Amino acid sequence: MKATQCFFQDGEHKWLAIVRDPERPEALIDTNEYLVAYGGAGLLIDPGGAEVFPAVFSALSSEFDPAAIAGLFASHQDPDIISSLALWLEFNPKLPCYVSWLWASFIPHFGGSAESFVAIPDEGMAIDLNGLTLQAVPAHYLHSSGNFHLYDARAKVLFSGDVGAALLPAKSASLFVEDFDAHIRHAEAFHRRWMGSNEAKRAWCERVSRLDIDMLCPQHGAIYQGADVERFINWFDALRVGVAVG
Amino acid sequence: MMSFCRAVSVVPAPCAAGRDLARIVQINEEIKAIVALAFKINIMALNAIFLAKRAGSTALGFSVLSNELRVFSQDLKSAMAGLSGLIHQAVADVSVLLQDQRLVRLLEAAEMHSGGNERVREALRARQEKMQNHGAALARQRRQLQLVLANVAQLVELGGVLAKSAKIEAAYGQSFAPALAQVSGEFDGVVEAIRHSLGLLHKSEFFAQR
Repeated sequence: MKATQCFFQDGEHKWLAIVRDPERPEALIDTNEYLVAYGGAGLLIDPGGAEVFPAVFSALSSEFDPAAIAGLFASHQDPDIISSLALWLEFNPKLPCYVSWLWASFIPHFGGSAESFVAIPDEGMAIDLNGLTLQAVPAHYLHSSGNFHLYDARAKVLFSGDVGAALLPAKSASLFVEDFDAHIRHAEAFHRRWMGSNEAKRAWCERVSRLDIDMLCPQHGAIYQGADVERFINWFDALRVGVAVG
Repeated sequence: MMSFCRAVSVVPAPCAAGRDLARIVQINEEIKAIVALAFKINIMALNAIFLAKRAGSTALGFSVLSNELRVFSQDLKSAMAGLSGLIHQAVADVSVLLQDQRLVRLLEAAEMHSGGNERVREALRARQEKMQNHGAALARQRRQLQLVLANVAQLVELGGVLAKSAKIEAAYGQSFAPALAQVSGEFDGVVEAIRHSLGLLHKSEFFAQR
């Protein structure tokens, strides 16, 4: 089963990471799901694929009442991000799912109807969670053409979707990046191939370097914290992306 | 915990619904084969009508039977189109059932791992109920298909009788008798091929599901 770890807490304001499933079938890529909780309500970020729903649900239940989830946020349309949507809607048919307008008519193939979605415009939007304002930050073409990250200015946490992702060896259990140089080797090939645009990457680096970030939380791999956040942004800025052999 | 397959008997086991899709593909192939044979009878009957015309008054009965065989081929084609429509609906029903089964499997796992979360249990119950309804709809669909197949079988029996009668009538064709006999023999062969395909449809395990 997955583990739930709280990596930020200030009273009832919390960030939980649902990570590392040792029982996960080998064919499925490992994913991190996040929950930001405020005043008893929660926003589940990149809820994951249908096949990991039982593991995500049960791990989350151990720390947070799933009935208090007020919404879902999908950074983009991939199956490992949001193919569990039908199951979350079985659990609570009224859950809104925040997603780029670009995917609002594609994701219903996984479940839901027009009423299930809140379409995020290209420039991003503020999302209110029981009084806490979260900002959907544009990250288009990184890697999806309609892609958003989520910034919590109060916690100084940036959920960064596939940016910062690392395909770590199975034995890597740490929630945080411990040795940046060793870690980034597991991220390089992923970023070169999956991130499609150097211009988009540049714009993102400029945009997020203006934000006050303590923790940068990707959907795969470990969380960057402290000085590693800036280190990562600089590394990414210098990396040539959109490169494939053949 | 009671497994779903035991708890809801009207719904086939998960793997059975998956196999149903493969069975439907086979049924479709047989339907296509029968439609092709119906087309063949139509063309053959047209040629037979011209042949009977040339044979004149000695082949009047053969001409009438050839006409009837044309009507038979068109009726058969229409019946197979109806069957095809039902089969497409069955594909939709089986697909919905497969989705139900996946959702139920994952909700069951979520309920078990979360120590029996009440809302997940409710969602599971609701989905199981939907699955049961979908299973019942599919069972109705199977019965309807069987009824249509039984009607098609009667129609094909009629075609068989017409082909046999054409064989008898061919004997009265005097100088045209050998040519008419050859045509009527071909009718018989094609109807036999239709009967064979229909037999395969009847035997499909898709209809063995309860």
